[in-house]
Amino acid sequence: MSYAHPEYLVETEWVANHLTDPTIRIIESDEDALLYAMGHIEGAVQVDWFSTLQHPLRRDFMTREQFEEMCSKFGITNNTIVIFYGDKSNWFACYALWLFQYYGHNNVKIMNGGRIKWEQEKRPLVKDVPSYARTTYRAKEADKSIRAFRDDIFQQIEKKKPMVDVRSPKEYTGEMLHMPNYPQEGATRGGHIPGAVSIPWSQAVNEADATFKTPEELAALYKGKNIKADGEIIAYCRIGERSSLTWFVLKYLLGYPNVKNYDGSWTEWGNLVDAPIEK
Amino acid sequence: MPCPNEIMSIPLKLQEIVDDFAGLSREEKIETLIAYAESLPPLPARFAEERAKMEPIPECMTPVFLFGEKQADGGIIFHFDIPPQSPTVQGLANILATGLNGCTPQEILAVPPDFYHTMNLQEAITQQRINGFMGVLAHMKQTAVNLMDK
Repeated sequence: MSYAHPEYLVETEWVANHLTDPTIRIIESDEDALLYAMGHIEGAVQVDWFSTLQHPLRRDFMTREQFEEMCSKFGITNNTIVIFYGDKSNWFACYALWLFQYYGHNNVKIMNGGRIKWEQEKRPLVKDVPSYARTTYRAKEADKSIRAFRDDIFQQIEKKKPMVDVRSPKEYTGEMLHMPNYPQEGATRGGHIPGAVSIPWSQAVNEADATFKTPEELAALYKGKNIKADGEIIAYCRIGERSSLTWFVLKYLLGYPNVKNYDGSWTEWGNLVDAPIEK
Repeated sequence: MPCPNEIMSIPLKLQEIVDDFAGLSREEKIETLIAYAESLPPLPARFAEERAKMEPIPECMTPVFLFGEKQADGGIIFHFDIPPQSPTVQGLANILATGLNGCTPQEILAVPPDFYHTMNLQEAITQQRINGFMGVLAHMKQTAVNLMDK
C-alpha cells in the first residue's frame, strides 16, 4: 500500500538536492515565526499564519488580490512547485498549503518531517532572506469545496455526515476550554460538535521525526473510527490549523475525494449562539 | 477605589527593557528578541529532580517550566526550562527574568499584566504570541505567591 497521492509529499533529501531548482519555491510556515529569522532552508521565503495569511481586518483569510500580490512578490508563477515546511509537525505548513489550494495553486507539496526532521539530519540553515524577481501571479476563484463554513456544519449535523474533531481529548470532552495561555483562541462553551468523532491530529504523525505515519497505519486509524473514503468529511480543531494537517492526510495521503476544513473551528462554534454542542 | 494604575508599578530594570524595545525598528526587535532567546540560561542541574516530576502541558502548548528561588535579601531569582523550538517564548521569558530577577514577591505581583503594550512588539511578532507574556508573567506571579512566606 502506498499513499494515494504521493506527489503531494517530498522528502528532506529531495529538497536538499533541489535548493537552486528554479521551478520550485520553498515556503516556511511556523507557529513560532522567530524560527525563520534564526535560520531557514536556503532560498526559503516565510509566511506567517497570522500576519501574512489572515485578512488584516475581518476574521478571514487574505483576499484573492492579496494572495496574488504575495505570490508575485515571492516570484511564484502559476507553474511553480511550492514546497511547504514548518515547525510543530508541519501544522502551519499544511495550513498554508490548504490556503494555496483554496486559491487554486495545485502544484504544492509538504516536506515530510518539516523543520524537526531537517534539523535532526543536521542539514544547513541560513539567515539570508532571499529576494526573487517579481512575477505577475493570477489566482483562481476561491475553491469553496475544501472549506466549510458554519452553515455547512448545521447541514452536516442534520444529515448525520462525518466530522472529525482533531483536538486533544480534553478539548473534545469540554474539560478544557482553550489552551492555557491562549485565551484569545478560547470559547465560552466547551465540548464538541454533535456527531463529530475524536481523532487527535497527532495520531497521524510519528512523534520521533514528525513524518506522516504509513499508509496502512493511517487507513486503520481513520477507518477504525468510521471515517471512510466515500464520506463527505469535515475536519475541525480550535482555529483550523491542526485540522489542516488532518485534511491533508485524508485528502492526499489517503485520497478521500470529499474533505473540507472548517477553519472557524471551535473558536467559532463554541461561541456561536444557538449552536448545538455535545459533551 | 484606586485606579489599578496607581497600585501597579513596573520595576526599573523591566521598564528600561520596555523603553528600549519601543524605539527599535522591526528588524531590530526581532534581532533583540532572538538575542534574549539565545541567552536564556539552561536550567541549573540542581532543579533536574524537581523538573522530572512536573507534568508537561499537553498538546500544542509550549511547555514552560519555571522555578523560583528566594534569596537571603527576599528577592526572587527565576530559572526556566523552555524548548529551543519555541524561541519566542524563550525570548519573552528571558525578558521577564532579566527585568524581574532580584525583585521581591510584592514587586513582582505589582507588575501590570499589560506592561508590554508600549514595547510595540506587534510589528515584529504575532499578537497571539505576544500574549505569551501574560501567561509567563502569571506563572511567575504564582511562584512569587508560593515563595512569599518561605
